[in-house]
Amino acid sequence: MIKDVIVTQNISKTYGKPPLQVYALRETNLRIKQGDYIAIIGPSGSGKSTLMNLLGCLDKPTDGNILIEDMDVSTLNENKLAQIRREKIGFIFQKYNLIPTLNALENVELAMGFAGVDTKTRTERAKQLLEMVDLTKRITHKPSEMSGGEQQRVAIARALANNPSIILADEPTGNVDSKSGDNIMRILEDVNKKGETIIVVTHNMAIAQRAKRILRIQDGEVREEHA
Amino acid sequence: MLKDHVKLAVKNLRHRMSRSLLTLLGIAIGIMAIISLMALGEGMQQAVTGELSSLSDVIIVSTGGDIMSSFGGGGGGSTSEYFTERDIADIERIQGVKDVSTQLSGSALAEYNGKATIVALTGMDIEVMRLQYASQSLHAGAFLNDGDQNKIMIGYGIAHDTFDADIPVGGRIKFNGEKFFVTGIFGKQGMGGVSSDSIVLMSTRDFKALTGQNNMSMVYLRVFNVNDAESIALNIEEAINENHGRKDFATATTMTSILETVQTILTLVQLVLIAIASIALVVASIGIMNTMMTSVMERTREIGIMKAIGATNKDIMSIFIIEGMLVSTIGGIFGIIMGVFGSQALSLILSSFFSSMSGTQLVPIITLMSVVLAVAVSLIVGVLSSLYPAWKAARMSPIEAVRYE
Ligand SMILES: Nc1ncnc2c1ncn2[C@@H]1O[C@H](COP(=O)(O)OP(=O)(O)OP(=O)(O)O)[C@@H](O)[C@H]1O
Ligand SMILES: [Mg+2]
Repeated sequence: MIKDVIVTQNISKTYGKPPLQVYALRETNLRIKQGDYIAIIGPSGSGKSTLMNLLGCLDKPTDGNILIEDMDVSTLNENKLAQIRREKIGFIFQKYNLIPTLNALENVELAMGFAGVDTKTRTERAKQLLEMVDLTKRITHKPSEMSGGEQQRVAIARALANNPSIILADEPTGNVDSKSGDNIMRILEDVNKKGETIIVVTHNMAIAQRAKRILRIQDGEVREEHA
Repeated sequence: MLKDHVKLAVKNLRHRMSRSLLTLLGIAIGIMAIISLMALGEGMQQAVTGELSSLSDVIIVSTGGDIMSSFGGGGGGSTSEYFTERDIADIERIQGVKDVSTQLSGSALAEYNGKATIVALTGMDIEVMRLQYASQSLHAGAFLNDGDQNKIMIGYGIAHDTFDADIPVGGRIKFNGEKFFVTGIFGKQGMGGVSSDSIVLMSTRDFKALTGQNNMSMVYLRVFNVNDAESIALNIEEAINENHGRKDFATATTMTSILETVQTILTLVQLVLIAIASIALVVASIGIMNTMMTSVMERTREIGIMKAIGATNKDIMSIFIIEGMLVSTIGGIFGIIMGVFGSQALSLILSSFFSSMSGTQLVPIITLMSVVLAVAVSLIVGVLSSLYPAWKAARMSPIEAVRYE
């Protein structure tokens, strides 16, 4: 039996207070298995990012529970949540979100630094990862010295650094041209083939079609899309 | 991990170089103020201590009141009670006393350039005179020599403000009709308590010959063993008070006790100086806090990213506190260096102001203690002023990483 990496139990997220309350996500129940490759689609403002942020423990649901590898994260304190974020989750953002003062190598190393990996192992692994995303020639470049596609590949390397159970990518190709986008998706698919669980938010149907599962969100309601 | 935090902090400081440097300058100036004022205080302390401790075998006996008002200023003459020959004999008999000398006080009618006025005269052994007035600068001329006759030394006020015309070295003044020649004029004292500006010094012999009086207002004596000074001083007071049938007739003061008083005063002065310098530090630490707050606000997203990839609150706290500590410690080190030069400059300026008042030069002394203190203070300032910004930063949510601009 393949184990569940993430299970959500009736999670909802509202922003603001009544009467100006916004329901960004309504009573959502999801089961995400090890090795899944899920695409999340839906119109702008439908709640895709909201769901991703909850799954990535960046935010807490207003209602319901999230289990990550059978651990209920809604009961965890900030320290434990930080530990979950660095050990179980690799987040890839639409806007790359690299640290501007650090070069590519240091950005990848940083995540391992927070996890307490020793310097030598860290550098070795960061170099391997950057090689995997084909950036061996860019390791000393600062984010401002790299193209969007290159920055996003550094971000992928960073997300993979601590061997997370799950990769969350919120519109990873949203800010790059289609060629770079293809490149990025190919890397993520390779990673998935090696057994990594991947969830990608995208507006691009072609990209979504390549996933194993598609979830469509409309007005905060999540439905499974059957191909 | 700490190494990583330091690295991050350094990178960030370098990224905002000019701002970091300005903040750093604030701390540097504060520390410079502390270092140079402490160095001057220490210099003052050691100069005075050195001068006084060379006289540590001396005991001064005066009638009545407080010795501090007459020592160094040497005003004399103001007391109307005098020691008797019997007192002197008693002092000489006390075990451990090496030699005894007296200061005579009186007055005479002085005449110079046609103008006449009453002035106070002080007569003392020239050797004692040289000791007692060693710390005083000469405005012109030279000290009296043993065996000099009808020669005097006068204060700045006598030379310049008493008669219609200024008296030069070699000038001739008549006291009760008898001629005396000025060999030396003391520097202006101004604010130094009872001043020697209006003093007229002559040898014991001249004084007796001129006034026919033997009014001993003060007794100077030296002891063989410095360690006995305190007990001998007590014996002297007892003996003289018994002679006069009063408990408070004489006060015998050792140099050690004067030294202690002076040191207490100087320590106080130093504390005041440091307190003043600390204001500069407070301002600088507000500067750090302000810079750090700005930095935290600007880096909201960056902090969010770090938390999103797994940084704990402690990590974030540590990064920002280290940043503050780096700025303040580097600033502190610059401040120490600047303080070394600053204190030299300050002492030059001060010396040129007061050169006419005091013969001794004020040499700033930078102690290890003050350097350690400066480093410690800058570290503490760094931690304290970055504590709140760091706490603010640590409290930020990882959601800041994905917040819409
Ligand atoms: N911090 C917030 N405060 C208030 N409302 C919010 C906040 N974040 C999101 N929302 C609202 O919640 C809803 C869902 O937002 P979300 O960002 O999840 O949409 P999305 O599907 O990711 O859209 P897009 O495709 O444009 O990225 C939107 O109506 C949005 O305005
Ligand atoms: Mg979104």
